[in-house]
Amino acid sequence: MSSRSPCAPFAGVPRPLIFSSSRPEDADPFEHKFSFPKTLLTCEKTVGHVIKRWQSFGRWPRRSPASPQPGVGASRSRWSARRAGKDQSRKPGELNAMDRREFLIAGGVAGIALGMAPVRAQSGTIKRGGTITVARTDEALSLDPFVVSDNGSIYNIAQICEPLIMADETGRGLVPGVAESWTEAEDGLSIEFTIRDGIKFNNGAPVTVEDVIFSLTKVSDPQGSYGFAFNPLSSIDKIDDRTVKLTLSTPYAALKSALSLFAASIVSKEAYEKDPEAFGQAPVATGPFMVESYVRGTQVVMVRNPHYWMNGEDGEPLPYVDKAVLKYVPESNSRVLGLQNGDYDTSLAMPLNQAASVDDMDGVSLEVSPSFRLDYVYLNHGKAPFDDPKVRLAVNYAANRDAIMKAVYFGFGEIPNSYMPKVAFWSDAVEPIPFDMATAKQLVEESNYDGTPIQLMVDTGNASFRTAATILQQGWQQAGLNVEIVEYDVGTAFSMTEQGEFQAYVSYITSDINDDDELASIQAEGTGATRAFFSNYNDDEVNKLLSQARQESDREKRAELYARVQDKVYHAGYSVPLNFLPYVNGYHDYVRNWRNITVGWWWLRDMWLDK
Amino acid sequence: MDLLRFVLARLLRAIPVLLGVVVCVFLTIHLVPGDPVRIMMHGRISDEDVAAIYQQLGMDRPLIVQFFDFLRNAIVGDLGTSLIQKASVTTLVLEKLWPTLLLLSLSAVFSTLIAIPLSLLAAYHRDRWPDHAVRLGSIVGFAMPPYWIGLLLVLFFGIALNWFPIAGMGEGPVDNLYHMAMPALTISLFLGPVLIQSLRASMLDALTSEYVEVAMAKGLSDWQILTRHVLRNALIPVITVLAVNMSWLLSSAVVVEYVFGLPGLGSLLVRAVGYRDYPLIQGVSLIFAVIVIVINLLADLSYTLVDRRILKGKP
Repeated sequence: MSSRSPCAPFAGVPRPLIFSSSRPEDADPFEHKFSFPKTLLTCEKTVGHVIKRWQSFGRWPRRSPASPQPGVGASRSRWSARRAGKDQSRKPGELNAMDRREFLIAGGVAGIALGMAPVRAQSGTIKRGGTITVARTDEALSLDPFVVSDNGSIYNIAQICEPLIMADETGRGLVPGVAESWTEAEDGLSIEFTIRDGIKFNNGAPVTVEDVIFSLTKVSDPQGSYGFAFNPLSSIDKIDDRTVKLTLSTPYAALKSALSLFAASIVSKEAYEKDPEAFGQAPVATGPFMVESYVRGTQVVMVRNPHYWMNGEDGEPLPYVDKAVLKYVPESNSRVLGLQNGDYDTSLAMPLNQAASVDDMDGVSLEVSPSFRLDYVYLNHGKAPFDDPKVRLAVNYAANRDAIMKAVYFGFGEIPNSYMPKVAFWSDAVEPIPFDMATAKQLVEESNYDGTPIQLMVDTGNASFRTAATILQQGWQQAGLNVEIVEYDVGTAFSMTEQGEFQAYVSYITSDINDDDELASIQAEGTGATRAFFSNYNDDEVNKLLSQARQESDREKRAELYARVQDKVYHAGYSVPLNFLPYVNGYHDYVRNWRNITVGWWWLRDMWLDK
Repeated sequence: MDLLRFVLARLLRAIPVLLGVVVCVFLTIHLVPGDPVRIMMHGRISDEDVAAIYQQLGMDRPLIVQFFDFLRNAIVGDLGTSLIQKASVTTLVLEKLWPTLLLLSLSAVFSTLIAIPLSLLAAYHRDRWPDHAVRLGSIVGFAMPPYWIGLLLVLFFGIALNWFPIAGMGEGPVDNLYHMAMPALTISLFLGPVLIQSLRASMLDALTSEYVEVAMAKGLSDWQILTRHVLRNALIPVITVLAVNMSWLLSSAVVVEYVFGLPGLGSLLVRAVGYRDYPLIQGVSLIFAVIVIVINLLADLSYTLVDRRILKGKP
């Protein structure tokens, strides 16, 4: 296996709901903006059923009866592990007996190993060439790394562009990218990067210090989407033909993470300045692939970059495949059918109600891999009745998460014990709040709730969240709260949340980096710009712990600090966490080295086709 | 000459309609909550930077000034720059116009091809089994939502028989048509029944009219009576039904575009609304209005082809 990951994904930014990473069932938030009549909402399930029936008549190859639905939690990681070593593994559900702690350890290990295991197993048999076709849920709006901030674009750009520093294959560390090495000043106020010797853009032109300065100046523009991540950067200077120096106004531990953002990609200054719009159609950069054609709303066709610097295991330059076609297929049934039909080698974001039948398709594997996503109900502590901690805890006790797991997620995921996604320092020691109606009722009685209806907000057309809201509504009403479900389009809902004009909102959040600092702070730090991500939560002790954790270099101590934060924030009834949702993709078995990494995207650089 | 004056008069009448649409869209998008800059920046931007970006984009000026700016530019074909995609709205709209237009026109052709023979059959065999079968079939077709029809077509023609591609547009006009066949059929299976119902009704009307009796008395064959007299006279109300439905189908096409992964105007608009991309919303709405107006104009022109007397009538 090659020793490095492709260009590092978007460190630093926990993208809020509307831009966040793929949802296994409803990957594109805009997918839910259509207000289908209610009868239509069952269509997807019915079509899944029809497909299964069809298979059972023997017209389509069928392997075995439908596998049991995965149990909550444990089986999800089993499916991931199964993906890593398919032949030896058991069916989902068999792990249900495993106790929670065992699972958590196994899950963690599997999660870390996920990226590497299949590669090791398959090394030495690599075949070069061929075209991989991937069906995706969201389209690329532009391929200009300095313009976009949506996943549809980012995941394409990640195959074409590379930053100075990139995330390693576990996603936890950083490895050299366009820069060969770097030296940090002892006072933490500057860092010097040496550009890789002989590195070229995909048009054959050499990468110069001027290109690096141009690119970093673009990304650090405070009015750009990711400018905030480069706030302390005060100047970027040329030292010599291969060295560039970044000077900071204050020490900034997250600088290297920020530099590994997709938006900090090093691009050709000449090509960009000549015609930014043309650049956005076919970036001149240093990544493993380059654009052959890009039709907005349809597909991006990428071919290998003949000047790519990194070699594969066979000693030849990467990537292994000649071509990659990333197709935009928003409709989930089409993605399933196209996978079955052989139109797509990989289909992303399988609808959860059809995941079991996808896994049963001959020659097709289901990938269930951990993500940095948490589905949860935002609560506004600034408004009654959620300004009362008793009501916040009551809605947690009265949330039937098992029912939601079955009805909404078809068993995929894990009931959370945290207010934020399961990132590096997530702690399993935090006691989950159980479903306990008696306690909920008692808490409501003790609270100062006056009977005014609580508005539970859902994005229009989001069937999954609507179902979750209905289950929550039932529980909350039993506990003695009056609840109304209200729907707004995603733009309005986000805007209302941001302005604090909401009480409860069913939504989700994802983290784009493997470090807890950004998300832990953005969600829980009451003094931040987003007021603890619009919740108005503010706790002095938590603020202090977060600031300590940010400065602490010892990982164990940091883990301890974050565990305390997790425990405190979660048990303060910060929100109503619903599910740690995994990525669920389908791919043909001949697609080797396919993996969805926790931050959301997948690596095409060192995958190959065994056919 | 009459025809030219007729078209010109229609086009002149379209101007206030377009203006009305532009005003409504402009006001509505500024009334609903949601700020493109904050959405774009994930809420993580200071108020000063937001203000600076607004100033840069000219969005800090009074609405009325922005409106007239938009109007002035729109007249010369410049619909502004998309806030999110940073590309010319005109380019974005033109890119996605072709799939939508192709889908609509192909649907109109398919619907007519389905509706005319079936309604002829039904009217000719009134109250006998072919009539019942056509009417039952059309009720079933109408009752099935396009989304569902689309999925069934994908399942059977795309997967089981493997005759048609299941998603996307293909490359080149011929491939475009091939890819568009199933989406257009989906819309037609929904729209066809509406046409069948109205065509059958107006044909039955015509069948009982005096000129048909005269034609029968002259000894014309059933076929001649149906095609020359009945169908021709029955077509006018049907053209209206088709035109009205085609306009309405623009919204339905969003769903079909979605099912078949077609890069049409519908999905562009939905996305633009999600991001509160004001220039793009305005641009696409304007194009939608133009399409509806053109469809109605074409309908009016078709009347004159079916019945030349319309040109001589009141303007």
